[in-house]
Amino acid sequence: MSVRTAADDEWVQRSLAGLTVMVLLAPVFAWAAARVGYSEPMENAAEAAGAASSAVATDVSLLSGYALPGLGPHLGTLGGALLGTALTLALGVGFARLLATES
Amino acid sequence: MHTPDGYLHPWMAGAFLALAGVVLSVAAMRARDSLTEYRIQLFGVVAAAVFAAQLLNWPIPGGTSAHFVGGAFAAIALGPHLGALAVALVVTVQALVFGDGGALALGANVWNMAIVQAYVGYAVYASLVDRSEPLAMVAGGWVGITAAAASASLQLGTAPAFGGELLSVVAVMVGGHAVLGLGEGLLTLVGYRLLARTGVETGERSPVGVRA
Repeated sequence: MSVRTAADDEWVQRSLAGLTVMVLLAPVFAWAAARVGYSEPMENAAEAAGAASSAVATDVSLLSGYALPGLGPHLGTLGGALLGTALTLALGVGFARLLATES
Repeated sequence: MHTPDGYLHPWMAGAFLALAGVVLSVAAMRARDSLTEYRIQLFGVVAAAVFAAQLLNWPIPGGTSAHFVGGAFAAIALGPHLGALAVALVVTVQALVFGDGGALALGANVWNMAIVQAYVGYAVYASLVDRSEPLAMVAGGWVGITAAAASASLQLGTAPAFGGELLSVVAVMVGGHAVLGLGEGLLTLVGYRLLARTGVETGERSPVGVRA
């Protein structure tokens, strides 16, 4: 196993840069999608079957959407993207390290 | 493709939670011996990339938009077992932190997007990669997302909330994702190429997933 730290690996640094670019793009894509109206095939199927009103919001989640509250739509989306990406990265490395420890 | 709470009958939601738990437990047992320090870091990067990529809603002329799901991408980059686990982590964060996809429906969403898409997408990729790697990646992404949509539509079409409209639900969801899935396939190829350009291919070799 390498004794180098993650920051020493160039691929990690480049990957983090790529993740940062995607986070920065999130508000732009959210704005563009809002311009055309966001509708997935599942939503279309629910509308067609008259099931759309059956959906209920999950009340156990910490947030109710990807935009952090109180920051406005664009900054809130940027904050949500940053939070979610960093959290997933941290949980992913932590989970994988735990899994490796158990092997 | 995130099923919210209220669509599925509770017994179905519970059954898929148990089913997904069993499959992911087996995946974890099979994959853990391959987790070197390099692959631990790669697992985190791929999971984070899938999360971030799912936030990018691509506007499509005609009044809709779609986003990359990434099950096949994760499976190709990490191998199918770790790929499924990575997407399962993403779907769980989305549900429990951001409220995207129901908490009760979490098992069904993990089943569709993490398990079905990752394993089906990887199987298609593996069957074609010797002929053409780009074609294998596009096909893996495309077939994987369509299979995931088919799985979700079977769950929804047999749910009471959808009134037994199985055929119409399958037609709308599978038809829609079969078209949008071409974008998923192309983004699977682009995502893998971008990941490779970070220098992953110069890292530690692994028996499955990203090759070095």
